[in-house]
Amino acid sequence: MSIDWITVGAQIVNFLVLVWLLKRFLYRPILDGIDARECEIKERMSEAATIREQAEATQADCRAQIATLKAGREGVIEEAREAAERERAQLLAQANTRLQREQAAREEERAQEARKYTASLHTKGASALLALTRKALRDLSDETLEQRIVARAASRLGDMTGDLAAAAGGSDTAVIMTREDLPEALRAQIEAELSAVMPDIGVQFRTDPDQSPGLSLRLGGAQLGWTVDSYMDGLEQVLNAQEQSDAA
Amino acid sequence: MELTPDDTIIFSVYGIAINATIVFTWVVMAFLTVTSVLITRNLRADVAPDRWRTMLETIVLTIQSQIDEISARPDRRLLYFAGTLFLFIITSNLLAVVPGWHAPTASLSTTAALALAVLVAVPLFGIGSRGIGAYLHSYLEPNIIMLPFNIIGEVSRGISLAIRLYGNVMSGAVIAAILLSVAPFFFPVVMDMLGLLTGVIQAYIFAILATVYISSATAPSETQTKPAKEHS
Repeated sequence: MSIDWITVGAQIVNFLVLVWLLKRFLYRPILDGIDARECEIKERMSEAATIREQAEATQADCRAQIATLKAGREGVIEEAREAAERERAQLLAQANTRLQREQAAREEERAQEARKYTASLHTKGASALLALTRKALRDLSDETLEQRIVARAASRLGDMTGDLAAAAGGSDTAVIMTREDLPEALRAQIEAELSAVMPDIGVQFRTDPDQSPGLSLRLGGAQLGWTVDSYMDGLEQVLNAQEQSDAA
Repeated sequence: MELTPDDTIIFSVYGIAINATIVFTWVVMAFLTVTSVLITRNLRADVAPDRWRTMLETIVLTIQSQIDEISARPDRRLLYFAGTLFLFIITSNLLAVVPGWHAPTASLSTTAALALAVLVAVPLFGIGSRGIGAYLHSYLEPNIIMLPFNIIGEVSRGISLAIRLYGNVMSGAVIAAILLSVAPFFFPVVMDMLGLLTGVIQAYIFAILATVYISSATAPSETQTKPAKEHS
């Protein structure tokens, strides 16, 4: 049993070399690998924990939504029913409004047509009455309606001279308005009659297609008329009475 | 009959005799290094470890856990040192089952070298951990009269380390050789099995004692810990 100091020195060197070799090729790779794996496992566990938390939050949210849906299902149905009822009432109201509007429009259209018909009837009746009157005058007395109107106006001028003079004011021209031109003889007759009662007043003849058959005299603020309007109105009243009796 | 492989000269280089102790030490070094390189060359964190890597991790972590149990200040450098001691000794001893193997640990030169390494490592770790003043002061504890005794204790435990390992391994090999000549068919097998067990135990004892010595050198002394305790 002896110690070889050269061998001792060599073995110390060998041992130190082995320490370095194992540190380089064993301990460090193994421990670094373990550390890296631990870090990766920690990261994965952290990710898993995060995902688990998210999943739990989502699950809780879904459960809350399901509970809310369950709890509010009856309310939702009732709300939907009320909404449908409101919608129905609104649609009915709109339909009624539209119907009333259409009915009013139809009433208005019917009334308008009735007015048109009545107006047309009146016009035609007046025309017929006027034509019959003219024919009767011509057949029975050989006169025209205008001659009779002028004659009637001439006969009335004398009685109304005072009123006309008062209403004339500063005016010095009387305007004779007819629907159609008066014949010269009738013009001269009425001009002569007017000059006889009011010598300072001039006469001017005019026509107006819208005026009813007859004659009107305007002097200043006064206006005198000999037309068939009142007769037409009487005819209208007769026709209206007849319509109402027919409708009844 | 040769009691130590130091006497077996394998070859000479420039007049320097290379004996069996050194050569078989190189074999152990090559075996450990090549095995480590082969297993750890393709380590990746995202790949599951295979059985060989798991075996190495188990060995390294077991050594680390033993050190953690003993040392108050676990240090990777202590793992490198004590772990290498353990792996070198246990490999040398277990390879004794290979016919013609001369365990380097059966050489007093090897065990002395390892004990010297421990003797040098103890103050180095102590100074590195506590500082040179605190470490040298530990030789004066509990009082200056104990200085020679502390020094003798320090040296004697290195000697005991060397002699214990050498004696156990060498005696096992010698007894196996004697029994092989007396009863070659049964007793040598039993003694070899006993030698393997002894070799593992001795490797464990050597590494553990080295760890204990180094840990005691790196541990803070009572005079250092008392103020800390008072503060805490």
